[in-house]
Amino acid sequence: MRKRLLTLGLLLIGVVSAVYATDFAVIVHSSNPVRATSLVELGKIFKGKTHMWSNERSITIVLRDPDSPGMKFVIEKILGGTVEEGKTILNEPSRKTTVPVVFASSDEEVIKIVESSPGAIGIVDVYNITSGVKVIKIDDKQPFDPGYVLKGR
Amino acid sequence: MRNRNPFLYPIIALVIAGASAGLAGAQMQQPAITTHTAADAAPAEEMVPVTTSSPDARHDYELGLLYHEDLLFVDKGLVSLRKAVKADPHFALGHATLAYFTTDPVEERHEYALAQKDIASASPDERLLIRWMDGAKNGGLVPAIAAMNDLLAKYPNDKRLANMASEWLCANQAAYEHGEKILKNVLQSDPNYFPALNNLAYCYALSGRPSLAPPLMDQYVVALPAQPNPQDSYGEIMRMLGDYPAALDHYGKALQIDPTFNTSQVGIASTYALMGDQERARAEYLKAISGTKERPTKLDYRILWAMTFYRENQIERGNREMTKLVAEAHAADLPVEEAEIYRNMALFSTDPHHALKSLDAARVVLTENHEISQGSREIELANILQTRAYIAERAGMADAAQKALKPLSAMAQTSRSNIVQQAYHSANGAVLMTQEKYDAAIAELMEDSQNPLSLQLLADAQSKAGQAADAQKTLSALAAINDERVETAFAVPQARAALKQNSGTGAEAGGH
Repeated sequence: MRKRLLTLGLLLIGVVSAVYATDFAVIVHSSNPVRATSLVELGKIFKGKTHMWSNERSITIVLRDPDSPGMKFVIEKILGGTVEEGKTILNEPSRKTTVPVVFASSDEEVIKIVESSPGAIGIVDVYNITSGVKVIKIDDKQPFDPGYVLKGR
Repeated sequence: MRNRNPFLYPIIALVIAGASAGLAGAQMQQPAITTHTAADAAPAEEMVPVTTSSPDARHDYELGLLYHEDLLFVDKGLVSLRKAVKADPHFALGHATLAYFTTDPVEERHEYALAQKDIASASPDERLLIRWMDGAKNGGLVPAIAAMNDLLAKYPNDKRLANMASEWLCANQAAYEHGEKILKNVLQSDPNYFPALNNLAYCYALSGRPSLAPPLMDQYVVALPAQPNPQDSYGEIMRMLGDYPAALDHYGKALQIDPTFNTSQVGIASTYALMGDQERARAEYLKAISGTKERPTKLDYRILWAMTFYRENQIERGNREMTKLVAEAHAADLPVEEAEIYRNMALFSTDPHHALKSLDAARVVLTENHEISQGSREIELANILQTRAYIAERAGMADAAQKALKPLSAMAQTSRSNIVQQAYHSANGAVLMTQEKYDAAIAELMEDSQNPLSLQLLADAQSKAGQAADAQKTLSALAAINDERVETAFAVPQARAALKQNSGTGAEAGGH
């Protein structure tokens, strides 16, 4: 048996192959005063148009490889075009000096880098977050809120 | 006292051996299990600390977790946890754990309040554990997940913690990939850690891959030959796979090991119900009912017993029995069960107007002054409204479907519950079907692909949209469900009958 934390009528039973869906969390360093931003502003950061936080720290973006599961959705959602267009934007040579982008091999690595970099902003599967980083709201919503914009599939 | 009593580990080992031997009676002899429980597998500093001033409370807490989490004697586990908080009324982690595991809403609320009152006496890591348990059950998911991952990182060898976390991820959050990863890590360090074998099998089954589960069940049975739960789990997995004789065989073996292992008794009863032998099912359910003392569990089993009359189309008798249960649920202050009984009556009603009246009654229950968490109330209300939209659509009552959708839509704007969100999509799908917008309905209904009612509507929408092959596939998926839910009891027999009739000429799901 497995224990039932839900009531009788609510047992979760897999019927067809499960579609893996998750919310993506936008994370920053715990000392960063920012608590929320918008999808539009996030797009500006990703395009390198906004390059400083309000505390005048330079922004660094930390992401998993764009070809890794879920990242296609994240890049398309934030940058508004195709993933290939997004990759081009994120890999522009000028990005080495203006809002540099660091690609990590796992969510754990993204969190580790953000945890130790006061200006970093990263995106991870919400189920991988730790209290070492701060999860910020996007368009006034946090992961699991109805209508949260970074709900991926 | 923060540190574990070093003498506790032999005590726990003896308890397991004693439990196994005692429960097995004279029929089986088995070795003491000394290496495959969380408590004695890791040194104290490798496990989340437990702070209590009472050695008795600590002992009962460990025993409670052993029964509830490792051996799955759920009722006994709750009894031990209650003893633990009685021995130390200021035991914050004990109160929080009891609140997390209990199915009794009154007890849950009371114990959470006590945990919060004494939280200052808990260690920082216990507070993290309490934050996870509270958030996991009551909707504060972001801080709950952060707390869970902090603990998993700090205590990588605390297998019980890993097992509890992965069980929550797989069974409650549908985060199968994450649950599997944690369980596979545990099994890599200890391939015979039996609670993880069990949970990984269920993780596979719940994510729609039950065929991956039997090899794990074989290992689980070998790891704990004198315990009933491995056989019980094996029975449920085989039933999910539609192999009823094998399911009965495994449930029977579980009861041979321990005749008091009540979930196997229910397993036998429900398997007979699924096989269509309702008389035998009722007789078996009665044994299970007499074998439990937990109020909500007893009532759940009685609902299953009464449902057998609906299963064999004795609608009036079913209604009579359900009506009696409504009164008992009301008297016992179990509002979720009371509302669920009304929902059962609605689904099996032959008159859609009567069905909607039953659902009105279910909603009234939730507006009364009961001890019920906001989360439970919200989920039950979403179920009622979803069922209402379904029944209205099947009866061609477009206005009624729309009226059910309206409050559900408002709930979905603010609720973080997956169940509420899925109920909204299903109800919206039903409304779109009344408007003959089948493509839009299909997209909505696919958001609730684990609910038999939504699958039935989906098959119908696909058929009407000219997607015959998809409709047949959906109908086959629906027909393959073998579980105890009322939605299954209602929709699956219709799907099986429709599949027989269709014979490849396009699916048309049954209606209300």
